[in-house]
Amino acid sequence: MVAGGLETFMELEEVASFLNRHAPFDQLGHDAVSALARKMEIRYFPRKAVIIDAGKENVFLNIIRSGAVELRLGGTELTHRLGEGGLFGYPSLLHHKLTRNQVVALEDSLIYQLPKKDFLELYSENPNIQGFFAVDEAERLREAVKTLRQSVEKHDDAGLVAAKLGGLLRRADIVTAGPDITIRKAAKLMTDADVSTLPLTEGTVLVGILTDKDLRRRVLGNDISPDLPVSKIMTPDPLTMSANDNLLSAMLVMSEHNIHHLPITNDEDAVIGVLSSNDLLNRFGMNALRVIAEIKAATDVKAVAKAARRVDAVLTNLVDSGVDANHASRFISNIGETTHQQLLKLAEKELGPPPIPYALVVFGSLARREQAGGSDQDNGFLLDDRYDPEQHAAYFETLATRLCDGLNSAGYVYCPGDIMATNDKWRQPLAVWKDRYRRWIETPDPDHILNITIFFDMRAIAGDAALVEDLRAQVFEWTSVNKIFLSFIARVAASNHIPLGFFRNFLLDHDEQEGDVLNLKYQAIAPLVDIARVYALSLGLSEVNSQERLMQAAKIGGLSAEGVADLLDCFEFIRNVRFRHQSDQIKRGDPPTNNLSPKTLSRFEREHLKDAFGVIRTHLDILRRNFAGNVQ
Amino acid sequence: MKIEWRSWFQNRGFSKAFDQARQAAAGTPLEDYYDSTLPLPDDMLETTSLAALDFESDGLGTSAQLLEAGWVNIENEALLLNTAHQMRIRADNKLKPSAVIIHRITDDAAAEGASEQYVLATLVKSLAGRAIIAHAAAIERDFLNAACLRCFGAPFVGRFICTMQLEQRWFPKVRASDGLRLGKLRAQYGLPSYRAHDGLTDAMACGELFLAQIARKQQSDLRLGALLMRD
Repeated sequence: MVAGGLETFMELEEVASFLNRHAPFDQLGHDAVSALARKMEIRYFPRKAVIIDAGKENVFLNIIRSGAVELRLGGTELTHRLGEGGLFGYPSLLHHKLTRNQVVALEDSLIYQLPKKDFLELYSENPNIQGFFAVDEAERLREAVKTLRQSVEKHDDAGLVAAKLGGLLRRADIVTAGPDITIRKAAKLMTDADVSTLPLTEGTVLVGILTDKDLRRRVLGNDISPDLPVSKIMTPDPLTMSANDNLLSAMLVMSEHNIHHLPITNDEDAVIGVLSSNDLLNRFGMNALRVIAEIKAATDVKAVAKAARRVDAVLTNLVDSGVDANHASRFISNIGETTHQQLLKLAEKELGPPPIPYALVVFGSLARREQAGGSDQDNGFLLDDRYDPEQHAAYFETLATRLCDGLNSAGYVYCPGDIMATNDKWRQPLAVWKDRYRRWIETPDPDHILNITIFFDMRAIAGDAALVEDLRAQVFEWTSVNKIFLSFIARVAASNHIPLGFFRNFLLDHDEQEGDVLNLKYQAIAPLVDIARVYALSLGLSEVNSQERLMQAAKIGGLSAEGVADLLDCFEFIRNVRFRHQSDQIKRGDPPTNNLSPKTLSRFEREHLKDAFGVIRTHLDILRRNFAGNVQ
Repeated sequence: MKIEWRSWFQNRGFSKAFDQARQAAAGTPLEDYYDSTLPLPDDMLETTSLAALDFESDGLGTSAQLLEAGWVNIENEALLLNTAHQMRIRADNKLKPSAVIIHRITDDAAAEGASEQYVLATLVKSLAGRAIIAHAAAIERDFLNAACLRCFGAPFVGRFICTMQLEQRWFPKVRASDGLRLGKLRAQYGLPSYRAHDGLTDAMACGELFLAQIARKQQSDLRLGALLMRD
């Protein structure tokens, strides 16, 4: 009885409560932390004292109780600064190696030291601790992304994004018919079964789909006889999705293809139901599909702008629903794309059809389908080579003005670099565009290369897409064989300054300055996009989306599968932080930006942003080695 | 070589007192302590075995009731938490209400402790071969001596380092009236603030202050004699 009483009484309260407040010990539970506290040694290091020297043996895991330390690789290059709760010295313990970093007290510091033997014991017994100390930052990041996904599944609206389509279908007894029945009979079938869509099958294979709207528009509106076979008016070979796909993917397909009915198939490819966009709209209030529908229904610029400005509400909704950054970006991009298309459609309606074929090409994040909140516009017109300024200039100039003014009023502000179709330079026939790209590629100008990388992410979103395809095929043919140009592009990528991490409430940079603003776009996202672009250009990939570029690069073998997985985790994590941050800004009534104060980051975000910075730096080094060597 | 007469006399006086106490302690739990070799004033501080000690009590005189003892060993200029002890002492009398408020130790909690004899026997055993560090060490010294006399009929003779005295001696300056309090001094060294008045926390707090003081002193050849408490 006495022994038991004494034991509990020996609690090292101050030490244990400190450990309980700091990762990874906060995951251990009361008893384990109490036991751990008793294994610590406490030492004091005055400012400038060397706590660990580089290239020596280390025998402790160090935990900063108070004060701060600085880590320098080999005693010279600053690696990191750590404050209260910071841990150091573990890589040498885990790998039984000599220390790489010199650790010096930046301030008078009180350090808890856990002897090597006790640390390794704790490590070997505890998967959480192993995960935390995974020296590989990529591995840690993977865990973080997994955690994010798990938290999505635990979310209130868990049913929303993760729900399998099979479970969402309202009726199990699907009504189908063959494509040979008459339109009249199909209509009767639909009325009797009280359904608004009728999948048409041959055997079990889906060959078409008929909707209420088709009957109205294609039959009644066109005076087509109801005695004709339904195959005359059905939508043939409709897009389908599997019962195992999730709701989020279905919404994305609907928004990207602007379709309202999606037949769902089972494992044997047999139709088991039809998902309608109305079902989804009714369930999920403000979402991308609804905004896109409103933009498409808008009959003037003002109405387009009004609907498009709701992209902010969509963004917060996506974030609140736990939608991952990749999907969220695609929804946001779809809204941007639809806005462009509708503005052109309205303008063409007023100005008359274009006198020669043309394409609206967009550059940068919209081309990559990676838009977030607060995007500006980057666009141009590719005109058919029959372009004659005398005859056609006025038309396209006016069209461009309508587009760019409309976009600005819709929240996509004018491009500060004037990359817009209103700029004569970016409203040219195909041949001129080709010439320009060839000049960029064959005689790269180091001073301007930074300004042209955006042009290598291009996509047609309206008009004659073949014009853009023509240009892009030509461009990629040139770039994939031009090593000098690639080395310039790689050098631009490698010149990105990636922060080291965070120290207290500051961003720690290589120049050893402590900043109070992190620009997620320039300091983390753009470098990743640059990496994906270098691979796309060197391998001649047609993909524009960074994720798709990286995945394709892995498939072809330009980049290791593991490397790609690391980069994708990194991209997902950083964009997730950005979306959550922008959602908070919008909720506060502020415009969404890419700048955030390190103070507003959670510990989870800080730690894994640091890992992400590390992964980016690793891959920039690879680029530097593999591509940037050809420049004198 | 210059003879340090003061330390010579001190040491001679100490040896005499130590030997007398040792005889009185024969057959008591103090035996182990007196059989050990205490560190010598000439010993290098770095390699000297030390212990930081703090008592909680209901008063200050020799008749004060000890409520709690907390201590932790210091080796190679590090506190070793696997040696940390905190032991409550069973109260014989009702606690004085004022002490209850300061220490947040109620009669019930105090009653759960072990006997004073048991706690003291455990304590002196682990103090064998160590110099003792305390903040205002004269109090700990007097408590320990009175308690040993009370429990074992023999005095306690030990080598003490007082962090309060050390601060005044090494870093003299004009201070506020409470400028030498443990918490105030710790703050000056950038040490974290702890919940005061729990025996072990105070012992640790004092031990950490000691580490900070010798770090600031920045003297590589410090010997124990230079740190010992002076009357």
